[in-house]
Amino acid sequence: MLHPNLLTPPSVIPPPVALQLSQKAPPILSSSPTSSLPWPLSLLFSTESPETWTIHENLFLASLRTGDDVSARKVLDRMTTRFGEHSERIIALRGIYEEALAKNDKELEQVFQGYEKILREDPTNFSIRKRRVAVLKSLGRIPDAITALTVLLENSPIDAEAWAELSELYARQNAWGQAIYCLEEVLLIMPNAWTAHAQLATLYYLSASAQSSNQLQPLTLSLRHFCRSVELNEYYLRGFYGLKVVSRKLLPLLSESSTSSKRNNSEDDDTPPPKLESVKKLEELATSKLAEIIRQYNSRTQGWTGFSEAEVTAARELLDADGKIER
Amino acid sequence: MAFLGGTLNTVGAVFLTHAVYSTSEHTATFPHAPLPLDITLELLFSILILSAGIVLSSPTLKPIQWARWAGRIQREGPHGEGKWTREGEEILSEGDPFGFLGLDGGIAGKGEGRRGFWDVRGKRKEYTEWVKEGGSR
Repeated sequence: MLHPNLLTPPSVIPPPVALQLSQKAPPILSSSPTSSLPWPLSLLFSTESPETWTIHENLFLASLRTGDDVSARKVLDRMTTRFGEHSERIIALRGIYEEALAKNDKELEQVFQGYEKILREDPTNFSIRKRRVAVLKSLGRIPDAITALTVLLENSPIDAEAWAELSELYARQNAWGQAIYCLEEVLLIMPNAWTAHAQLATLYYLSASAQSSNQLQPLTLSLRHFCRSVELNEYYLRGFYGLKVVSRKLLPLLSESSTSSKRNNSEDDDTPPPKLESVKKLEELATSKLAEIIRQYNSRTQGWTGFSEAEVTAARELLDADGKIER
Repeated sequence: MAFLGGTLNTVGAVFLTHAVYSTSEHTATFPHAPLPLDITLELLFSILILSAGIVLSSPTLKPIQWARWAGRIQREGPHGEGKWTREGEEILSEGDPFGFLGLDGGIAGKGEGRRGFWDVRGKRKEYTEWVKEGGSR
């Protein structure tokens, strides 16, 4: 298992890992990265590197998460002296610190008012605008958060991170159409993001489960996007998993519609349903790829250890369930 | 491979230096005589050896197909390459370049979410609950 790393923190940080990360605070805080010598000498004897400040920022977040507010404050002070208190990023980090220390919703409300004040002075501070959305989300005011985000996106429509966040907020409200639209915007900005394709496919799949009639069209689109995600990444476990789930759901629908007469043919011209044979082939492909990934991961082959344990287990369960049905 | 490349580079550099030095001495002594054949041959030989050494000691190539490249990132996951920063953090290999979109955790998943919208209070609460439960691993 990889040691918890502050430079590139993992994408999922469970509490034990967070604890290990924040325990790195004392050694890092014990030595100062900036030199105390006067100006020309300080350039020569400085030990800081670009990584230094990434590590400090991640350490700040890790200490706040584990309630080590003293270390967090020290790291924040250090960053403030280095970059000045008017740096956009420092302002946002200070905001996070205040949010973390707010004991109840009322104090959080005050932090929110503080953000409003900062934005009145400098409406172009996008980090603070994002924090504002995060506070609204934390207060449970999801519709307000959505409104704030749409305003942000009107001003900065190429912010992929914000589009992805808005998509998730909509998806939490079960507004599948809007969520799909937002992810399509992400894809316009980053057409090669395999995670975005898989997420879009997931949204189509969920929207198909939400509606009872005409499931064929969203499932077809879901299949297409899963196909694209595995086309962009040849060992994308989530993509193959989704491909298998969707094609298993599509197969009965397709055989049904082929036995009954071809109905709304003109209506579905935009997204013609796939052929039965190709869906079958895709399912076989997904099964074989998943089986390969599971086999290699479980035998701990060199270069195959990057998958997440939970995902591999889920894939195995899917394949096992499949095997039982066939038997 | 790295050892062989290093040796070839050293040998090539020695020959190249020798050839250059010989040329300089030769032209200083006989300004109008043509260069002898052995110096020319040594120069060409040293350049061949150096080129081979540089090619052999270069790092392995990255896949130029998007799917292969992405697949390798997915398969291998982030791993150390034997370099550490001064703070003692290992510098890891290239990770998922779209990780910042926070889309891999699914909807309302357990992941870290997007950096700009980091939910500090939610994460703090998760941690305190874990501590209350006894902090089991």
